[in-house]
Amino acid sequence: MTTEIQAQRPGLRAWRTLVVCEAKMVARDTSGLIVPLGLPLLILLMSASSAASQVVQNGHTALEVFVLPLALTIVIAMIAIVNMPSFLAYYRRTGILRRLAVTPASPALVLVAQTVVSIVQALLGLTLAVAVAVVGFGAGPPEDLGVAVGVFALASLAMYGIGMMVAALAPTPNSAVAIGLVAFFAVGALGGLFGGMATLPDPLASIGTTLPFGGAVQGLGAAWVGASVEASSLIGMTVTAVVGFAVAAVVFRWE
Amino acid sequence: MASHDLAIEAIDLRKRYGSTEAVAGISLGVHPGEVFGILGTNGAGKTTTVEMIAGLRRPDAGQVRVLGLDPATDRGKVRQVLGVQLQSSALHGSLTVSELVDLYASLYARPVPTGELIEQVGLTSQVTTRFEKLSGGQQQRLSIALALVGRPRVVILDELTTGLDPRARREMWRTIENLRSSGATVLLVSHAMEEVEALCDRVALFVAGQVAALDTPSGLTDRAGASSLDEAFVALTGQEPEEVL
Repeated sequence: MTTEIQAQRPGLRAWRTLVVCEAKMVARDTSGLIVPLGLPLLILLMSASSAASQVVQNGHTALEVFVLPLALTIVIAMIAIVNMPSFLAYYRRTGILRRLAVTPASPALVLVAQTVVSIVQALLGLTLAVAVAVVGFGAGPPEDLGVAVGVFALASLAMYGIGMMVAALAPTPNSAVAIGLVAFFAVGALGGLFGGMATLPDPLASIGTTLPFGGAVQGLGAAWVGASVEASSLIGMTVTAVVGFAVAAVVFRWE
Repeated sequence: MASHDLAIEAIDLRKRYGSTEAVAGISLGVHPGEVFGILGTNGAGKTTTVEMIAGLRRPDAGQVRVLGLDPATDRGKVRQVLGVQLQSSALHGSLTVSELVDLYASLYARPVPTGELIEQVGLTSQVTTRFEKLSGGQQQRLSIALALVGRPRVVILDELTTGLDPRARREMWRTIENLRSSGATVLLVSHAMEEVEALCDRVALFVAGQVAALDTPSGLTDRAGASSLDEAFVALTGQEPEEVL
């Protein structure tokens, strides 16, 4: 009776349809757009005017070397580590994942669709923030645009790796937010969220540079002034991304 | 030893939650093309048994086979041929009826066309309505549609018509009859005696995690010397059937 039954994974159409559905749900939930679109602007506007006039390195202002890298990193970390896991935990809590569990959908399908839509949201917000920084405060582009894009992409993968682990492990939406916030502030504190990494003791600053938050701030700042990105930052972000997604796929729970 | 001639087979299934033994040695076999009913009071182990058959829970002991496959270890194959309507699950609230059907259809190799399926469950005029705006009965019908979208060979329906008005219930019964005609196997968990009598070829009565009786509806009625399945249920299980919601 089993000979003619073939295991068939959902194809490209399923991936596309789920991503489009996730995007529609986000677009229909206007409150969910506040963090990715509003947060970068808020952070920027709070410190941009003073930082824009302060030249710190190679003719670049504090806005370009510190504020923009920090703002970009905060936003991607906030969305990936706090925002996105709470959506998945909500899906689990309400039984949406349970319903998908009795279909051919795989955990990867659900996780990747969430990630793609979340990244698009983040990019929209970041584009808006950078545009305001350039047009409103005279910020210039990075000396090495390719490195900046590469560092941001790698940092995003690492942040989503952490977020995926939180989403896979958190039993409830509330605990997802709680665990996500603890993780966000832990990597943030060691990465210069509260006053810059120069204010941290050397051992903590070294650890911070290898974590995704500190690595992203350091790497983006370096790209803006045309300096090289520290290898430990690149390795740290790569390892976090690989471990995060692997752990999330293994421990993923439908309910 | 599992039989390869059965569409669904459960052998001595056991499942415990803490100190409570929810399923205490359930064995049953459902033939291909059969509509098989499960009746029982709350806590009798119906839903846990169905969840083990659907591969949502692993039994503590015993075996499950769906078309000869283990739902837990042969997940990819079983999901292509199994359609499930769960008693407790939700759908994405802000998606419309057609978007949800399209989404679930995209997961299967050979889905039923979206428009055809929506018409089949009587939701054509709600096609652009979001799930969260549907009435309870409409949500139930959509949930059943999604169980059928992949042209399943085996269908599990937990509380098929709960929340439906009499007309919608009759329409759903016709859908089950059509499934039977198409050769699909149906496992139907229900509280409604009338529904079980109308649709099921055989029925298992669950009491305290075990099968108290298994026969055709008329066979159970005759065996109990009763005039209806309601009476037979009381006579064979010693318990009152639950009220149908």
